Amino acid sequence: MKFVAIIRQVPDGEAKLKEEAGRIDLSGATMILDQMDEYAVEEIIQLKEKHGGEAVIVAFGPERTKEAIRTALAMGADRAVFVRHEGDADPITEARALAQVLKEEAPTVVFTGGQQADWDSYALGPAVAEVLGWPSVAWTTRFELLDEHKAKAKHDLDEGAQVVEVALPAVFTTQQGLNEPRYPTLPGIMKAKKKEIKEIPAEELGVRGAKVEILSQEIVQIERKQKILDGTKEPEKAAEELVKLLHEEAKVI
Amino acid sequence: MVLVFIDHDGKKPKKGGLEAITRAREVAGALGVSVAGLVVGSGIGEVADEAKKYVDTLYVADAPEFADYTAEKWTAAAHAAVQKTGAKAVVAPASRTGRTWTARLAARMDAGLLEDVLELEPSAEAVVAKRYTFLNRVLEKQKAAYPVVISIKPNTAPLAEPKGEGQVEALEVALGELEQKVQVLEKIQEEKKRVSLTEAPVVVTGGRGMGSAEAFKLVEELADLLGGAVGATRAVVDAGWRPYAEQVGQTGKTVQPNLYIALGVSGAVQHQAGMNKSKVVVAVNKDPDAPIFKETDYGIVGDVHQVLPAMIEAVKKLKD
Repeated sequence: MKFVAIIRQVPDGEAKLKEEAGRIDLSGATMILDQMDEYAVEEIIQLKEKHGGEAVIVAFGPERTKEAIRTALAMGADRAVFVRHEGDADPITEARALAQVLKEEAPTVVFTGGQQADWDSYALGPAVAEVLGWPSVAWTTRFELLDEHKAKAKHDLDEGAQVVEVALPAVFTTQQGLNEPRYPTLPGIMKAKKKEIKEIPAEELGVRGAKVEILSQEIVQIERKQKILDGTKEPEKAAEELVKLLHEEAKVI
Repeated sequence: MVLVFIDHDGKKPKKGGLEAITRAREVAGALGVSVAGLVVGSGIGEVADEAKKYVDTLYVADAPEFADYTAEKWTAAAHAAVQKTGAKAVVAPASRTGRTWTARLAARMDAGLLEDVLELEPSAEAVVAKRYTFLNRVLEKQKAAYPVVISIKPNTAPLAEPKGEGQVEALEVALGELEQKVQVLEKIQEEKKRVSLTEAPVVVTGGRGMGSAEAFKLVEELADLLGGAVGATRAVVDAGWRPYAEQVGQTGKTVQPNLYIALGVSGAVQHQAGMNKSKVVVAVNKDPDAPIFKETDYGIVGDVHQVLPAMIEAVKKLKD
C-alpha cells in the first residue's frame, strides 16, 4: 500500500512578518513545515510502519519548499514528488496540479493539513479529493485503516464530531490530537539527504495563473489600550477596578 | 442568480445562514439578479417555512439521505441547485463543514474560491473580498471573477431581515457512487450548556495557569454571569481539563467576541490566531511579561486564583 502526505512550507507562526509595497515579504522569515501537515507526515509514517508499503511526500511551491520536504523525509518518509511553482497560487489551482501527481501515484490514503497556515485555508484537501473524484474527511482526530479498501475515522464537525467509514482511496485532513508528530533524528536527517525528490515544473502540469488574484496584503495589528493593573498586592481592588473599566469605559459589561 | 446556502439547526436558520444571506444580497445587487436559497436536511419543513422569507426562491433538499452531513452529499446538493438556477455565485457560512464542501464545489464548478470572507465589494465582473491570512495576522484583498464560491466568516455580517414569502421548490439531488463512499456510523454531540463559542458575545478562556480542571468551575461561573462561552487553550485541552470543542486557536476555533477574557493564558501565537480580532481583550496573568499582555486592552498582573473570585464578586455587585 502507498500512503501520501501533501505538505506545504509556511512562515513560522512566531516569525515577524514584513510588508513591502502592499505585499508580505517572506524573504527574511523563518520557514517551516506547516504544523498541521506534520500530523499528516506522522500519520503516513505510522501507517507504513504498521501495514508496510511506502510513505510518499507530495509538495507544491517555490524552490525553498525543499527544506520542508527534507524535514518530512528526515521524519521517516521514503521519497518525495515536488511540483515547483514560483509566484502566487491558490488552493484550487494547487489541487488541480497535485491531483495529476496523485493519479499517477495511485495511493491508498492521502493526508494533508486541516488548515494551511499561510492561506488560512481549509480547502486544499477537499479540493484535491474533488478533482480526483474521491471522498474527503476533514479535521480527522482518529484514523484506522481497516483494509486496503476501507478506513474508519473520527472527525470534527461545526459542533461535535462524527465517526465515518470511508471507501478508499480518500483524502483526510488533520486536526491536532490525531497523533504526536516525531522529531527528525540525526540519522534520519543524514538518510534524508539521499532520498529521492522527483521534481516537476508546475507548467508541465498545466498550471498557469491562480484563479484568485491577491490585490494587497497588510499586516494588521489592532491597537490595544494596554491598561495593565497591579493585582499582586490587592487582588480584590484590582478586580473591582477592572470590572469598573469594562463597564464604564469599554462598555462591554 | 446568486445561490445562498442557509445553515439551520433543524428548526430555523442559524445565525451564520442569516449572515450569508446578507452578503448574498450584496452580490445579487451588483449583478442585478435575484437570490435563491438552499436548505439541506431531513424533515426540515419547519426550516423551509422560515427560510423562504429571506429569498426569492428557496430550494429544499429534504430527504432521509441528508439526515447526516457529508461533504460529498452537501456538494452534490449545492451543485444540483447551481445547475438548476445557473447561479454565478454561491454564498455559504464559513463554518467548519461549510468551508469543506465549498472547496469541493468550487473545484467542481471551476470557480474561484473566496474563503472566510469579512467584507465583499462585488461588481458585475468580479468579487473583491477582504479576508485574514497568515494565522489571522494579515488582511488580504483578493479578487475572483465569476463564477465564484464565497464563504462568510461568522460574526462579520449583519443578520438579514426577512422580506416576504419566497417561492418554495423541492430540489431533486441525484446521489451517485461518490456520495455513498462515506457512511456515517456515529454522531457525537457536543455538550451545549451555553451559547456556542463562535457566536458568543463574550468568551472567557482559561489557560494552563488555571492549574486544574476543577478551577474551571470559576471560569464557567464568570462566563455564565456575562452570558458568554467558555474557551480553553491547547495546553488545557491536551491536559484533558476541557474538551477539544472549547479550544480557541489555530487548530481550534476562531472567535471574535465583543469581550475576550484570558485567564492564566500566556498567549502563544497559535492561541492569538484564534482571538486577536476580539473587540476588547482582558487578561489576567501572574507573569507581567506574558505575550498575552501585548494583545490586551485591560489586564491584571496577579494570581488568577485570587483575582478571578474577586472579579466574579465585582460583576455580581454591578448586576445588583
